[in-house]
Amino acid sequence: MQGFTATSTPDLAELQSTMRAIEHACTSIQMHLNPGASEAVILSLGQSSQPYKTCQFILENSLVATARFQAAAAIREAAIREWGCLSADDKRGLISFCLCYVMQHASSPDGFVQAKVSSVAAQLMKRGWLEFAPAEKDALFYQVNQAILGNHGIDVQFAGIKFLESLVSEFSPSTSSAMGLPREFHEQCRRSLEQDNLKTFYRWTQEAALSVTNRIIESDSVVPEVKVCTAALDLMLQILNWDFHSNTSDTKINVNVFSAGVRQDGDSPKRSECHLVQPGSDWRDVLLLNSHVGWLLSLYAALRLKFSCEGYWLDCPIAVSARKLVVQFCSLVGAVFLSDDGKMHEQHLMQLLSGMIEWVDPPDVVSKAIENGKSDSEMLDGCRALLAIANVTTPYAFDRLLKSMRPIGTLTFLSILMSEVIKVLMTSNTEEETWSWEARDVLLDTWTAILTPINTINVNALLPSEGIQAAANLFGFIVECELRLASATAFNDEGDSDHLHASVSAMDERLSCYALIARASIDVTIPLLTRVFSERVARLDQGRDIIDLTETLEELYSLLLIIGHVIADEGEGEIPLVPNTIQTQFVVNDVEADKHPVIFLSSSIIKFAEQCLSPEMRASVFSPRLMESIIWFLARWSRTYLMSSDGIGEKIIDSGHHHEHSSKKALLCFFGEHNQGKLVLDIILRICLTTLASYPGEKDLQGLTCFQLLHSLVEQKHICVHLVTLNSWHELATAFSTEKGLLLLDTAHQRSLAQTLVRSASGIRNSEVSSQYVRNLMGPITSYIVEISSKNNFKSIAQQPDIILSVSCLLERLRGAASASEPRTQKAIYELGFSVMNPILVLLEVYKHESAVVYLLLKFVVDWVDGQITYLEAQETAAVVSFCMRLLQLYSSHNIGKISLSLSSSLLSEAKTDKYRDLRALLQLLSSLCSKDMIDFSSDSIEAQGTNISQVVYFGLHMITPLISMDLLKYPKLCHDYFSLLSHMLEVYPETFAQLNSDAFAHILGTLDFGLHHQDADVVSKCLRALQALASYHYKESGNGNIGLGAHTVALKDSNGNVQEGLLSRFLRSLLKLLLFEDYSLDLISVAADALLPLILCEQSLYQRLGNELIERQANSTLRSRLANALHNLTSANQLSSSLDRINYQRFRKNLNSFLVEVRGFLRTM
Amino acid sequence: MSDEEHHFESKGDAGASKTYPQQAGTIRKNGYIVIKGRPCKVVEVSTSKTGKHGHAKCHFVGIDIFTAKKLEDIVPSSHNCDVPHVNRTDYQLIDISEDGFTGLIFLSRQLIKVSLLTENGNTKDDLRLPTDDSLLTQIKDGFAEGKDLVVSVMSAMGEEQICALKDIGPKN
Repeated sequence: MQGFTATSTPDLAELQSTMRAIEHACTSIQMHLNPGASEAVILSLGQSSQPYKTCQFILENSLVATARFQAAAAIREAAIREWGCLSADDKRGLISFCLCYVMQHASSPDGFVQAKVSSVAAQLMKRGWLEFAPAEKDALFYQVNQAILGNHGIDVQFAGIKFLESLVSEFSPSTSSAMGLPREFHEQCRRSLEQDNLKTFYRWTQEAALSVTNRIIESDSVVPEVKVCTAALDLMLQILNWDFHSNTSDTKINVNVFSAGVRQDGDSPKRSECHLVQPGSDWRDVLLLNSHVGWLLSLYAALRLKFSCEGYWLDCPIAVSARKLVVQFCSLVGAVFLSDDGKMHEQHLMQLLSGMIEWVDPPDVVSKAIENGKSDSEMLDGCRALLAIANVTTPYAFDRLLKSMRPIGTLTFLSILMSEVIKVLMTSNTEEETWSWEARDVLLDTWTAILTPINTINVNALLPSEGIQAAANLFGFIVECELRLASATAFNDEGDSDHLHASVSAMDERLSCYALIARASIDVTIPLLTRVFSERVARLDQGRDIIDLTETLEELYSLLLIIGHVIADEGEGEIPLVPNTIQTQFVVNDVEADKHPVIFLSSSIIKFAEQCLSPEMRASVFSPRLMESIIWFLARWSRTYLMSSDGIGEKIIDSGHHHEHSSKKALLCFFGEHNQGKLVLDIILRICLTTLASYPGEKDLQGLTCFQLLHSLVEQKHICVHLVTLNSWHELATAFSTEKGLLLLDTAHQRSLAQTLVRSASGIRNSEVSSQYVRNLMGPITSYIVEISSKNNFKSIAQQPDIILSVSCLLERLRGAASASEPRTQKAIYELGFSVMNPILVLLEVYKHESAVVYLLLKFVVDWVDGQITYLEAQETAAVVSFCMRLLQLYSSHNIGKISLSLSSSLLSEAKTDKYRDLRALLQLLSSLCSKDMIDFSSDSIEAQGTNISQVVYFGLHMITPLISMDLLKYPKLCHDYFSLLSHMLEVYPETFAQLNSDAFAHILGTLDFGLHHQDADVVSKCLRALQALASYHYKESGNGNIGLGAHTVALKDSNGNVQEGLLSRFLRSLLKLLLFEDYSLDLISVAADALLPLILCEQSLYQRLGNELIERQANSTLRSRLANALHNLTSANQLSSSLDRINYQRFRKNLNSFLVEVRGFLRTM
Repeated sequence: MSDEEHHFESKGDAGASKTYPQQAGTIRKNGYIVIKGRPCKVVEVSTSKTGKHGHAKCHFVGIDIFTAKKLEDIVPSSHNCDVPHVNRTDYQLIDISEDGFTGLIFLSRQLIKVSLLTENGNTKDDLRLPTDDSLLTQIKDGFAEGKDLVVSVMSAMGEEQICALKDIGPKN
């Protein structure tokens, strides 16, 4: 690279020629002339040593804006890199040059150059933040303060505010730029700025904004001051967005004082989106006591009047910023308010609400105006403000806020507002995202924020009665609208299925919010839902075979989803409880349990669903889509209500509050095991049988049945116990193992069904009976496989599509059964796998070209071994291991050296993907085998049979690594699996590694080298751990007088006479190179240190030599002595010794960190 | 699973059907299907419904295994589709000869005829190696060096093509 080797005082001619070169490169890049070369020229400026004079010259003299921009960037790059070598004066000089430049050119065009220079100043200031004395900082800030006060005119004032904005964003962890320094540095800077400067900045900004407010309000047209005011508002917003830390501890102390009016809980699912502003008590004077909020509201009120004037409109920047700041102030909480029972906070919120209520009130008028073309931003910001307020108040406090200004409470208003929004949404009904979409989502979040505690608190304690009424009205309206929407869209053709899935999960979220609203007034909403449901069912009965029922079917579909959400929770893997309000809001006596509204509703839905068992009803009413909602509903409902009275339920009932829980008790008893439970379970199972057998090709429906409903029934022990006693369950099992009908299911569904059926064995109390059950279930399947693979003509018929189909189905079923392995059924499943071992090898041979079957075979073996390996006795282990080895050998003999040919590139890439999946499965197989050494439940040691797991796995790796090409390692998952296994092996069995033959050894080292330079930090750290393991093993062994890695560490001459370095030397060299000269994530430094230390200890003389080389290459004498010093400190600071213990590793990590900070900057200079 | 399920298998190789019927819902990605009379490998399956409350239908995207053309089809899930019987046979490579003749179809490709040894000792000389130059050189060099090469030939619905090559080490 030619570089700009600037001497300390370049002469004018030199400066000008460099400037011209840069200008030329910048203009040619813009015209796309030779971009590569131009880019190199520009980059070399930043990479050269001490380019500051040149850059400053360009900034001051160049007429090309992009050249000035690049010069600023170069200052930043060089200064950050060379910071350690610059003198204190140089550092301050650079910052103050940038600041002066910004101020002096404040009114020049090409604002992006000024913005860049300003951000360079901010970054350099941060870089030196911890080393500058307070007086030095004050001197720099004095200039900024003068600018912001407006003493030098509007433009300079603007530039000053913008500089502070870059500075604050540079100090905020999420927006800071990387500087090659440890995270602690950024954290210290953040803390220091928060403690010492942030509030001052805010005050300066306030003063700047105040100084221009009058000019803006008085003038009828846009004045230059607007720009300053907008910038000031933005900066205030940014500062309030700061993640305040130093005060969180003191808010915690004050929690009790504030909990009167302010909620501190964090269980709202949307909480993350709503940022709470918690600056702490010392901000009270700036934010609250100086009528700052009043100023803001009156500024916006004045702006509102000007929207008709030229230059102002609803979405002009200053209005947008002002509204954002208002919303931000709604989120203010914590110690900034006095501890006066929340009075001050309430006053603050009331003031804000009075300022913003006009944005959304009256809802119908505002929405009409928007439909007529008014901008929607006030409406949306109004909704956001309500959300922010709901997030920081209790529902009672929230409701009170509006009462001082309007005759209704805030909750009632919220209900009216949301009804209006939903009305607009329904009438517009387009696919596009309109304002009403967004407003609805924000308002739903608001309700969620208010109502989430309903799951733990009694409704009456949570909400005022007006609020409950408001929720009931809103929910009634929602149901009405959803049904109207359903019937209106019943005839729409479904678009592509991806879109469908996305919208289903969005709908799920929406329905959960609706459910919260419904639960707030549960005694009204359940009867409402029951009425609507029976109306629709009656309509079906009347119209059956007479009219088209599609609209009613779609309404029922929506209704079932809504009811499911209202009466039961998802549970997310846990057993969901009966929702709190349903437990507490109904008072019933035990005798009339069937009149309990929720029982009545559930029973009528189940009764309705049961009708699908009749073929005529199926044909006329139960469309696949309606069945999907029924299956979904039954799965969700049964998790909460079916037979759950025993166990957890009883305990809660016994824990007092008899009255409160009588509703729950009635519910759980009714569907409990001694009452209707078994009957309902039987109905559910018959419905499942129907969907599996009588809805051919309906994959979605069958998927729901297998994955959701059946799966969840078996998962629940208390249901499973009854399940296995039912005839319907045995009908399902028989249909599965002996009838052909279920072979038409999707293969993934067959696998899941096999898994579910086998898993249900856990419900059988006697272990012998449960094993027998598994044998009966899977016996016909294994014997088919054994039989067909031993047929004489199997080779010639194997490729027939029908044979391939049945073999694939049965393999999927075996795999399903294998993955359901539990201690109780382990023996039976072992026998099952054992009996098909040989057939599997036969199939692998016959189907070697049929990649789909090969993959199934491998996956079955993987799952089977994974489920079995920890339980196997020595002899069984030996059998399994030798089977796996034969499988690996066979697979490798089929695939090594194989080249697929096809005219189609996509078929070729499919072939490659197949190979990747196979190899990944094989790696998983090896990993499972590996686990035998870690977890072993067998009674004797596997060594008894002469099985050495580590050798087996190395042998396996040896066989499959030649198949893993560097190309295949580009698949992230394969790469990840491979390096996990490798690093595990090297860490646990370095001694076996030493015994590998040289080819295998070389290949593994080759991949290690590849992994070391991988871009995924996780892969690199795995390789580093592997290296550490190898080197420390060798170091310890050779210290004890053993050979360790032996010959592999010694340099060798290969057949061509080239010297091959020993492995440790080779990796010491490449690791040092990586650390000093290449790019990597800073998180890797400590892992790298752990690998580097033993490498250095093993290869001390090479390390010395490399160190000396580095020093000699350094031309500059000061740098040379710094480097020598740093190298010395690396191995001697912090009392580093030559042992490999924890403390020593820790010391070395510290040493390496400071070493890299010290030298990496200048070593990377060109 | 029972024996009668395969009652037609006794017909033997000679009379084996070219295609078999199979329910559309059971055909998966990576399987085979006949679309517009051509044997295809399925590269994409998606399901949708005919109207919200109608029955499911499958949308297949297949690639012709011989010509590499992309073909699509939509079939109700519960209906049958034709699935081609795709057979693959391994042969040992015994000769490569360059052919001066240029066919119309493979106009731009160099044509190499190969002679293959079948399992029962006969030779098969009617297959061509349509492939790119670098691979061709690799094969020719390998063959010249005396490596043992195995050629897999894929056949379906009366057509055949070489689909894979494998080197099984030096000739003994």
